[in-house]
Amino acid sequence: MNAKKVTSYVIRLILWTLVIAFFFWAISENMFGKIFEEPGKFMELLGRHLELVSISAGLAILTSVPLGILITRPSFRRSEWLIVNIANLGQTIPSLAVLALAMGFLGIGLKAAIVALYIYSLLPILQNTIAGLDSVRPEMKDAAKGMGLTPAQVLFKIELPAAASSIIAGIRTAVVLNIGTAALAYLIGGGGLGVWIFTGIQLFDNQTLISGAVPVTLLAVLVDLLFRGIEYLLVPKGIRLARKSAMESV
Amino acid sequence: MIEFNDVTKIYGGDVKAIDDISMTVEDGEFVILLGPSGCGKTTLLRMVNQLESISQGDIKIQGQNVREMDKIKMRRNTGYVIQSNGLFPNMTIEDNTMIVPDLLGWDRKKKKDRFNYLMDLVGLNPDDYRKRFPHELSGGQQQRVGVARAMAADPPVMLMDEPFGALDPIIREKVQDEFLAIQKEVKKTILFVSHDIDEAVRMGDKIALLRDGKVQQFDRPSELLIRPNNDFVSDFVGKDRVLRSMSLYSVEDLVTTFGLKNKEDTITDTKEISIDTSLRIAISMLLNQEADQLVIVDRQGQAKGSLTFDLIEKFLHQEVKGA
Amino acid sequence: MTDFLNYVQREWGTIFSYTLEHLQLVGIAIVIAILIGVPLGIYLTTNKYLAETILQVASIIITIPSIALFGIMIPVLSMIGQGIGFLPALIALVLYSQLPIIRNTYTAIQNVDPNIRDAAKGIGMTTFQRLTKVEIPNALPLIMAGVRTATVLNIGIGAIAAFIGSGGLGVLINSGISRGNSNMVLAGAVFVSLLALVADFILKFIQARITPKGIK
Repeated sequence: MNAKKVTSYVIRLILWTLVIAFFFWAISENMFGKIFEEPGKFMELLGRHLELVSISAGLAILTSVPLGILITRPSFRRSEWLIVNIANLGQTIPSLAVLALAMGFLGIGLKAAIVALYIYSLLPILQNTIAGLDSVRPEMKDAAKGMGLTPAQVLFKIELPAAASSIIAGIRTAVVLNIGTAALAYLIGGGGLGVWIFTGIQLFDNQTLISGAVPVTLLAVLVDLLFRGIEYLLVPKGIRLARKSAMESV
Repeated sequence: MIEFNDVTKIYGGDVKAIDDISMTVEDGEFVILLGPSGCGKTTLLRMVNQLESISQGDIKIQGQNVREMDKIKMRRNTGYVIQSNGLFPNMTIEDNTMIVPDLLGWDRKKKKDRFNYLMDLVGLNPDDYRKRFPHELSGGQQQRVGVARAMAADPPVMLMDEPFGALDPIIREKVQDEFLAIQKEVKKTILFVSHDIDEAVRMGDKIALLRDGKVQQFDRPSELLIRPNNDFVSDFVGKDRVLRSMSLYSVEDLVTTFGLKNKEDTITDTKEISIDTSLRIAISMLLNQEADQLVIVDRQGQAKGSLTFDLIEKFLHQEVKGA
Repeated sequence: MTDFLNYVQREWGTIFSYTLEHLQLVGIAIVIAILIGVPLGIYLTTNKYLAETILQVASIIITIPSIALFGIMIPVLSMIGQGIGFLPALIALVLYSQLPIIRNTYTAIQNVDPNIRDAAKGIGMTTFQRLTKVEIPNALPLIMAGVRTATVLNIGIGAIAAFIGSGGLGVLINSGISRGNSNMVLAGAVFVSLLALVADFILKFIQARITPKGIK
């Protein structure tokens, strides 16, 4: 074991200690008390939070992945740079602004929140779907075509497996951002765990605040991990090897 | 058999990438499409399996016009190998190789047998490679798999676009030799794109040398080297074309031509040369040698006489130039 | 629509001062983030184990929803009497900026063509000269791209920071919602979006300018 490894372990240890210290402190100060005092309410807020995220992100996946596939077909190629630029531009718009704009047009309520979250999730998925499909080497598609694969077979057997990791990464980014943005949905009457966070801030009630903020954080971090796991399982082994050897050759 | 009848390819209304090409590739013939980059050789190849459309004229495979055939079916019945990395990274070597049989709905047993046969043919152990992925293989191995994949459904015609172009020279020569041995066994009708005159001379039964979309000469390699049609052809094959043509003949050809007989009185201080050696190497050995002759020995080690520059020159005039 | 335009015209001064406040927060945060992230990113290229750890941590931090991070910081920073206001917002923005800045710096320095590095060594440059004359100039465009990502991200999170009293354009959205003034909400949303778009555009322009001609 060399000094560089030791430094890395020490830093890791310090960070873990900080996290554990935080939880130790929070528990000893009964910061999570609210969850145990009102478990029903907690489950309701968590349920609403998950509902907001899954409906909006689910619809966004169902829109963006097929759209990304469509745009990368030869007959739509010319519109691609336009869509990619719109996607880049659209992603600079802050999440709070998207929510505020949705409220401006749709008023307050669950529907406005879902629409805002849906729109906010579209672009990262679309962008990554297009980037993933574009990264498939042309000679690969050429070889497939030359061997007599139909366009649909080229898409499903060659292009989508090669683009899978990029598409899933886009979905992961979108869902994690969505979980955070859903915490703001309270502001436009969407409910969710944001209710406790904002109530806590307004009332200087740390217990309520932490009982909302920590679960949202854990949710985001765990979902991120979950999707990394899915990515590992869904991306074909050969593609992983290909990427590994590409990275080593850099 | 592949027939090209007045085939023309026009891009953007006026640029002729292929200009009125007519030629015939006979069954079992190995034809090289040779030329500098931009001459249209790849375009011509891709017109055969309809990856490029045909602007004018017809291409026929086994008498059938490719334009009238179902593209997908026709491609499945035509082997296609490209320069590099045409293997699909997400599929195992077996899945890669068996993709066309799979599309054709072969049963598992038949696919497995075919895979084993093909791997043996290209010199890879089927069980070692079955479950591996393209990126675990070296460039040479990948290209062997590429050749096996193209032959998977036993297509009568194979189209190869600089298949060995990405390999380093030593491996390339080895793979070329192996492929020639395979071709001797399977006798496919092959169209093979190359920009390398040495590769073309080494491998082709015939060479079609292209420039600006036109065929400059379509001939056997020796003819191309010895009797170039025009300045472009002689420039392309190089100033050392006569020397290059020597690689097409072996010492045995010379022995047969001059009817050299067994000779008992051996000269002891001279090096020996086997009758399998090509004349090009023989010349280089003579140049390397302090002595001005080499002893020709046959496969049994029997001396056949001595090889000198004079003899080679005589052979060149009589056999090659006079033929 | 005319309602909205009238509102903007009437409240122009307020909007402008909130914009300045917003820029101030984001600007200070980015400067601090660069001062931490760029040297750290460069240092990490010498220790890949530590690089892995730090990049992992930074990528976990960036997944934490901003409003939740503010929430977690309030009771912690309350212990030093800074639970809400400018300081927690600044800390959060600096933390969120670390991933794009460190990652891009690290990748950029690592991706400098080994041949160039060899050549620099070969003509007798010291490690420091190599860094300042060869590696950083070649890495600058990618580092700048990281700074741009961080800036755009920070403008968005800065708007959310208004809920913990850091000021800025988020105040318009916050007070607009609580007062039921939709023009105010809209003004906040529109101007914070414009700010992000303009910042993105300007930084992209700078990025293009500082890209050495040879590596465009």
